[in-house]
Amino acid sequence: MSEDTASGRITEESDRSFPGVPVRYIVGALGLLVLAALPVMADMELGLGVPGVFVLVIDELFLLDLTVALYFGMFAMSWDTVSGYTGQISFGHGLFFAVGAYTSALLNLGHGFDPILSIPVGVVLAAVAGIIIGVPALRLRGPYLSLVTLVAPIILLNLFIFRSDIFGGELGLSPGPENFLGYGVGQASMVYYVALALFVFIMAVLLLVTRSDAGRVFTAIREDEDAVASVGLNPAKFKIFAFVLSAAIGGLAGAMYVHTPRGGATYSELFSTTVNVEVIIAAVLGGMGTIVGAAIGGIFVGLVPKLLDELAVEIPGFVPVFGGTSVSEIDFLIFAVITLFLLYVLPGGILRAVIHGGQRARGWRRGDEVATDGGRPQRVITRVVGRWREQLRGDDDE
Amino acid sequence: MSSEPEQGTTAGPDATDATPQTESYGPDDGILVANNLRKEFGGLVAVEDFSFAVEEQEILGFIGPNGAGKSTTFNCVTGFYEPTGGTVWYQGEEVTGKPSYEMVNAGLARTFQHFRPLHDRSVVDNVALALVEDSLFSFSGLRGGTKERAAQLCERVGLADDLHRLPDELPHAGLLRLELARALATDPTLLLVDEPFAGLAGSEVERISTLIRELREEGLTLVVVDHNMRGLLSLIDRAVVINFGSKLAEGTPEEIRNNEEVQRAYLGGDL
Repeated sequence: MSEDTASGRITEESDRSFPGVPVRYIVGALGLLVLAALPVMADMELGLGVPGVFVLVIDELFLLDLTVALYFGMFAMSWDTVSGYTGQISFGHGLFFAVGAYTSALLNLGHGFDPILSIPVGVVLAAVAGIIIGVPALRLRGPYLSLVTLVAPIILLNLFIFRSDIFGGELGLSPGPENFLGYGVGQASMVYYVALALFVFIMAVLLLVTRSDAGRVFTAIREDEDAVASVGLNPAKFKIFAFVLSAAIGGLAGAMYVHTPRGGATYSELFSTTVNVEVIIAAVLGGMGTIVGAAIGGIFVGLVPKLLDELAVEIPGFVPVFGGTSVSEIDFLIFAVITLFLLYVLPGGILRAVIHGGQRARGWRRGDEVATDGGRPQRVITRVVGRWREQLRGDDDE
Repeated sequence: MSSEPEQGTTAGPDATDATPQTESYGPDDGILVANNLRKEFGGLVAVEDFSFAVEEQEILGFIGPNGAGKSTTFNCVTGFYEPTGGTVWYQGEEVTGKPSYEMVNAGLARTFQHFRPLHDRSVVDNVALALVEDSLFSFSGLRGGTKERAAQLCERVGLADDLHRLPDELPHAGLLRLELARALATDPTLLLVDEPFAGLAGSEVERISTLIRELREEGLTLVVVDHNMRGLLSLIDRAVVINFGSKLAEGTPEEIRNNEEVQRAYLGGDL
């Protein structure tokens, strides 16, 4: 009798607590449909926007920009898997991006491997790099591990400078490697569809992993590693798994990127500090610890600066300092300011804000869902940093 | 009756029963046996050649004032700390220094003195985590079976009305119950309960004691750590008293209550 009550409560509650799921899925499916339809629009050379002020022309150039953004979205999802879920913040995720890209590019350029063969090798080597970085995660916690990830790309860069004859130093490999399946600028739609298919596939894989039992253990590690160990789960195993999975996918994104017409194997594109920071911003901006949010943030960070760069609008003269300047001249500055603003008003990320906005708009009033200070995992980064503080203070159980 | 540090470290299977006089234990002296357990932090000796044995299906009280080394001993036995010296046996097997998750899977569960719930998920999901297999590719949770089992466990410890609350919304006693449910979810044969009575009201102490007694009736062996003597002595079958990292006394609640050394050491002579 009593068991019936308990199970009964479970089903009743779970029906009630996921009223937004279908809506979320519909929105997601619509978004993917729009992405899939873009090449058709490009064929028609459609323009969106206000004529005379800003017109976004969906053309082949735009498709190639979006391709790059999709790979960056994949990269952001890979960061989110390890940092957003297990709380092991990686400050040097470009390392995996670069290992995948350089491996594939070097095999292609130096040994004539077809990208279809060299890319998997890049993925494997990136996964190996994930093990190498992940193993310190067995002993180091929180901020200490993050320091390791901060240093690792610096070591890689100096290795590349030391052997400039192979790696091309800071300037990277020139000329770039072959295009994937030979699709060049002329076949922008195909380049784009390859990226989109892979993007959807990786998102599905990561959603499956993070929604499985392993995902629950990941977030539990983020909350309290000792509590995880105290219920008979080996935190080290799950952390290494997250690192290797993340590294392999980051390596795949890098390797695919480098074989697009837009991508090149250079330091500034793959593992510079800017890249390392941008991927964090992308995931946090989109919604850390959600995968989908990281994907959205990745596309945003990958695309918006390029759109701003192509924007032929002058800032009105009454604006101090910047009056009269063309937007494209200070595109990255504007992008950074927009990002800062969004981070400030949407600390939980774009995805959560959209979902909650939708729920509120439809009149679902689940009090605990709306309260941001009720201990909900709204601000993953707050929780992670909170754990860091505890770890730096020392073990509290004695 | 303090121990002499350097007695024999091994004892045959014919070693006599656990009494304060025989300070050396063998693997078969109980379900959980620690022999000459030692833990140093730098120069500080937190646990000094401490030996004890837990017998099957008893409720053993582990008593000592704050800083006596209770939790350190606990952490050494459960694999959260690596002991500096000594041996731990569990169900006849040596388990010294084994990582904590292996100890849990062998049937030795624990609760934390400072409760460690996962703040990001509901009570029932906290318990459900303990039902997850230690395997990277497990989807059992998606089928919903673990949630039902978790709900049953919550009900077992008296959290039936709080299944979907967040840990932060629970009262102190509720958090203790959550710790117990999570430990029980690992299906232990021995449960170490760290300071259950700290911060509990008298009526709550009684209710938790009843729960612990019921668990023992169901076949569990329990070790309860506390410095709250009054609540503890009425609950336990036997007590081990620790002070300054080594054993001060051992015996039935009456013997402990009447032990002058125990009274003098930190009960202010009043029991």
